[in-house]
Amino acid sequence: MEVSRLPLSASQRGKLIYAGYTSLSSLSSVSSSELARDLNVSETEALEILKVASYSGWLDGTSGSHAIVNGAQTAWDMLHEEELLRRITTSSADLDDILGGGISCKEVTEIGGVPGIGKTQLGIQLAVNVQIPANYGGLGGKAIYIDTEGSFMVERVLQIAEACLEDMLDYDVLLHKGVQACQVKMQPKDFLANIYYFRICSYTELIAVINYLEKFISEHKDVKVVIVDSITFHFRQDFEDMALRTRLLSGMALKLMKLAKKFTLAVILLNQVTTKYSEGSFHLTLALGDSWSHACTSRLILYWNSNERYAYIDKSPSLRSASSPYSVTGRGIRNSTSNCKRIKMM
Amino acid sequence: MLVALAEQNSTSERLKQGITQVLSIIDGLHQPWLDGMELLEDAQWNKRILSMGCERIDMFLQGGLHEGHLTELVGPSSSGKTQVCLRAASSVAKNYLDSVLFLDTCNSFSPKRIAQIVGQISDSDNKEVNKVIQRVMNSIVYHAVFDIYTLLNVLHRLEFNLRSQKGSQVRLLIVDSISSLISPILGGNGTNGRALMTSAGILLKKLAQQHNFAVLVTNHMVAGERGILKPALGESWKSIPHVRLQLSRDHGSNICNMSIIRHPLMASGEEVKFMIL
Repeated sequence: MEVSRLPLSASQRGKLIYAGYTSLSSLSSVSSSELARDLNVSETEALEILKVASYSGWLDGTSGSHAIVNGAQTAWDMLHEEELLRRITTSSADLDDILGGGISCKEVTEIGGVPGIGKTQLGIQLAVNVQIPANYGGLGGKAIYIDTEGSFMVERVLQIAEACLEDMLDYDVLLHKGVQACQVKMQPKDFLANIYYFRICSYTELIAVINYLEKFISEHKDVKVVIVDSITFHFRQDFEDMALRTRLLSGMALKLMKLAKKFTLAVILLNQVTTKYSEGSFHLTLALGDSWSHACTSRLILYWNSNERYAYIDKSPSLRSASSPYSVTGRGIRNSTSNCKRIKMM
Repeated sequence: MLVALAEQNSTSERLKQGITQVLSIIDGLHQPWLDGMELLEDAQWNKRILSMGCERIDMFLQGGLHEGHLTELVGPSSSGKTQVCLRAASSVAKNYLDSVLFLDTCNSFSPKRIAQIVGQISDSDNKEVNKVIQRVMNSIVYHAVFDIYTLLNVLHRLEFNLRSQKGSQVRLLIVDSISSLISPILGGNGTNGRALMTSAGILLKKLAQQHNFAVLVTNHMVAGERGILKPALGESWKSIPHVRLQLSRDHGSNICNMSIIRHPLMASGEEVKFMIL
């Protein structure tokens, strides 16, 4: 086993060989400080090199059955993991139906629609619903709300939280008929306390917050949803260099993907619409352009159909495209009233 | 020339020795030459054609994915790229004992969907199907990649592991999608991003050629001149894939359209329609 075959950078390999470390065995007995001195590099870098070397040495000796790449998982293991994952309900049974049970964790979901269609309402609803305790079929998590537009109304959150609590009590009564219902311990105020709110005033701040999130979430492991309302706002104005915008946006998208995966949480991005001219006519599409359209795992489009609000699954790796009506009520997002034959549950 | 230089220097017996040593190492490093017959033999014996799990696509592409080739799928968002990838992964893992490596950048790898597809393409009864699904899913190996450096790192490790002949072989490597890794670093004033992109492309092609597996990557579409969509990543990436296929889907239907932009064996512009179930 030679040093030249180690997965190191060319300059590090060069330094190693130059300093006389040509085989792995010569690296095995050296300490990181000695190596740092010999190679004229920092001690951390030397430590890094030793780590790579020891890993490769270990691999050389004992190789697992499917050790093609370390850190990889088989699809079979992932299937079992996915079965254990809970989804975040939207409080509308019809909407949950087409979403396969709700908003999926580990995914970045984009929600777009015209102004007033209920994007922010849906965002707030999800921030509340993520806190439904596990014995009510929820996640019992916390939420991060990143507000760029200033449309987060705390009174409205209180309203939705109260409605959510009432639903939970109803559910209790339904489940334990006659029996003394176990009291819901949560108060509406607890719902508010569990939403971490960031107010963002420029795109630089947005990028800074998203960079900070990884640290923040590793300190607050029970955060299960990150809502960005909206991702578009600051990127739609004062941008001269569109190539720069694309770079920043796609870099941000990757970071959010990483967060979603690493901490198994749902990322919800709210997006605005824009008009686009193609094939001789104007029609509405989501803002931020074609390259951004790839940045999410699944996409939900909200639209008006005569006087009813509809949601449409525009993109998803595992779900069919489908649409369903929903409505925004005083209590939050609920099934559309016109075809509400089912009993409202949660 | 170096040898002559060393001879002029009187005290350089050791230097000369060293230089000849270096020269012999350099000589030993270049690849042996091959003639056309050997290449043909290699192509016939070592490079198989992998079915993508969809009859129409396989017929269209004269069998499917060629081992040793880098195939690129381009298409706008929600045009079926990931679905084709998942289908190809399931099909290859089902037909061969070797592994399929899936590198994912968009969290769009859905094990549930894989199980569903495997159920669709295997035609045995219920009890058997579960066994098949387990076997197939055990040989699909997943790795999440969120920046280009991780991608390069994973590929180097893969190369290292394949060369040391430990672990099972790889039949198909999928990167879904390569463009979301590259677009954050591409453009601007620096050429660093372009260099990283090209080295990733070269590494993929080299691995495919040396270890006889097929590579499938996906790429986005961006608006080009006058709003017409064109594949992302620009001109310098354009020359890297062997095969370039464009996907499109009508809004709201599940019928996809695949057309050839570039293929070493086939005329470009041909089209096929297929359905996503």
